[in-house]
Amino acid sequence: MKFNKQIVLVTGSSRGIGAAIAKAFAAEGATVIINYIKNSAAAIETAEKCKELGGSAKIIQADVSSGEQIQKLIDEILQDFSKIDILVNNAFKPYIFDSENRKQFHETSWNDYQEQLDGVLFSSYTLCQTILPIFKKRTKGNIINIASDLVARPTIPYHDYMTAKAALIGFSRNLAMEVGQFGIRVNCVAPGLVYPTDGSMNTKEGLKELIINQTPLRRIAAPEDVAGPVLFLASSWSGFITGQTLYIDGGLVMR
Amino acid sequence: MTLNLGYFQGIESSTTEWKTLSFDRGRGAIEVAVPVLSETQLKSLCTRVKKMSQTYLKTIPVSDLVNIIDTTISSFLDRTNPYRQQAEDLLPRITGYDPEMIRLGLTSYLKTFRKVELNRFLSEDFSNPKILDEFQPLPKGGLGRAYGPDLLFHIWAGNVPGLPIWSLVSGLLVKAGNIGKVSSAEPLMASLFSKLLAEIDPKLGECIAIVWWEGGQNKWEEVLLKQADLVLAYGNNDTLRQIRNRTPITTRCLTYGHKISFGMISRSALDTGKSWTTAHQAAYDIVRYDQQGCYSPQIFFVEEGGAVSPEQFAQFLARELENFENKFPSRSLTIEEASSVASWRQSEELKAFSEEKRAFLADPNGRWSVSYSETAGEIYPSGLNRTIQVFAVGSLREVPSIVKPYKAFLQTVGIAASPEELIQLASQLGAIGVTRISALEHMTTPEAGWHHDGRFNLLDLVTVTEVERTAETAAEAFSDYVD
Repeated sequence: MKFNKQIVLVTGSSRGIGAAIAKAFAAEGATVIINYIKNSAAAIETAEKCKELGGSAKIIQADVSSGEQIQKLIDEILQDFSKIDILVNNAFKPYIFDSENRKQFHETSWNDYQEQLDGVLFSSYTLCQTILPIFKKRTKGNIINIASDLVARPTIPYHDYMTAKAALIGFSRNLAMEVGQFGIRVNCVAPGLVYPTDGSMNTKEGLKELIINQTPLRRIAAPEDVAGPVLFLASSWSGFITGQTLYIDGGLVMR
Repeated sequence: MTLNLGYFQGIESSTTEWKTLSFDRGRGAIEVAVPVLSETQLKSLCTRVKKMSQTYLKTIPVSDLVNIIDTTISSFLDRTNPYRQQAEDLLPRITGYDPEMIRLGLTSYLKTFRKVELNRFLSEDFSNPKILDEFQPLPKGGLGRAYGPDLLFHIWAGNVPGLPIWSLVSGLLVKAGNIGKVSSAEPLMASLFSKLLAEIDPKLGECIAIVWWEGGQNKWEEVLLKQADLVLAYGNNDTLRQIRNRTPITTRCLTYGHKISFGMISRSALDTGKSWTTAHQAAYDIVRYDQQGCYSPQIFFVEEGGAVSPEQFAQFLARELENFENKFPSRSLTIEEASSVASWRQSEELKAFSEEKRAFLADPNGRWSVSYSETAGEIYPSGLNRTIQVFAVGSLREVPSIVKPYKAFLQTVGIAASPEELIQLASQLGAIGVTRISALEHMTTPEAGWHHDGRFNLLDLVTVTEVERTAETAAEAFSDYVD
């Protein structure tokens, strides 16, 4: 029970990758805050699973693209638990990965880029600003941001979204540099295609086979594959690792 | 609410008995109800279907039938269609197969019955498909017309989703009236297909009925066997023997029994660039419907001398079976299935310990296993459900003599080899009774018009009425315009 009694906030964890991460923490004894925006049924189901697995869970509805709702979210957690140990920035503005109907560069407006920067960076930025004082008080804390291996190798160029994810990696490194002296670590995980999730539901077989053919471990990631590395980065086993990006794509990208 | 399956017209649902079938294959328990018609009801259904076949079906051109079937299939290919969605929702729960496997399998299979493909079924068997509509000139002279049976009785078996559609479509194309008994393991697709077809063309809907009764209950079967003009049955050899024995001597009985299919991999497919892809394709054929199809491979013969050895290939195959657990997780097995797998595994594992030149690679959780051997002696079936044998051979030309004793059970061979090897092997294999040769990854997706067990999908169902040249010539003398 590596995370016994630790309070873990996973944004956007009612289903998909977020839910897999939440359940993995719960299986190691953590108390997981399952943040969701709309799908309360899914959030409740995930919370139930977390309890079955040996941890505990609390569901809190909050739209993390709103500074106000972020403050309320953190306040509610502190009220119930007096602390937060780990923050996993998983929620992002819904993006459909459609390799056959994506916006080409000439169709991608600056506003599209801006929206993704807001969607990806703003919530991570605001959550970090809100949580860091809490971490600093205990000179301890752990932040894990979910990036993407498409930053290193844009197999399909999703211009706006991946530019924002690239910015997230830069953001994380700079933050790691500064808060390291408070004993706070900041790392990223970069999954490749994860199936099935809301964003990848319509991925065609041809693209999956193309990726599999180039992947040393010869398969596509399932949501559960992302959980292990996140837990590693959240644990004392990675106690001397910060500012890093761990690629979870079966070796498709090697950095 | 229990879903009512089966399909028939002209009999009140309320006077029909229904039996509940329960399924719990690890993907959500479900109950469906299948109709158990009385002997009287069945007789009346036979009469009705025969009559509609004579008065309606036989009068419409085959091209109209093709269009109606095509429209039905298009609906099933549309993932937003309620019937398709019902199939995608219920088939995993009934069969236990993974929902992804069902989704992809349904589309791949149903594409075989689009209009273009239906025309392939027709052209494959009839050089002039109009022979199904009216008398046409025969190559030997004179005229001929092909007549399908008024009543074709199908007996379906197994759980491969949608299997009944193949013979049902064949029956419709030759204008047969069809009554089919669904298998308890997959009663859904034949029912949904018939219902949707009937919505599109209600009169055609009256030429089909989908029924059910408990296996081994002969009295209902007797009714159909006596009433049908032609019987088409799937199953194991014991069942088929019984059916054939109870079919009147004047009624033809076509049987499709269990088969062993296998793969052959040449050293030319085992270079360092292509060998993984070969293993991937081979594994796909193994996992699709867990080897429940007659066309599924149970053995792979792998040639020595390539850059990748047969043993290494077996290791790739094992890895791929593990990777496929990610894409198509194994279904939970019944006690009989699990027992069959367990005893096969035990036996193979023991051999690997006690004999040289053997290896046994298996998932610790029992979901798949690969038994490798360098001495291909007697062959035997695998345990099915993702269990496979890999034999190393010095040359693929050795294989036909190894499998020859099993001629009666051979069907599909998947081959990865050069064009010259393919043709040379094909002639050896044809001589020992193999009826289908395909690429790897396609063993389990036969194409439209496939000669199932070497037979003819449509021709086997018809009788040809010929008007001899003598009749034509003699009639000339009696015409008004004789000079």
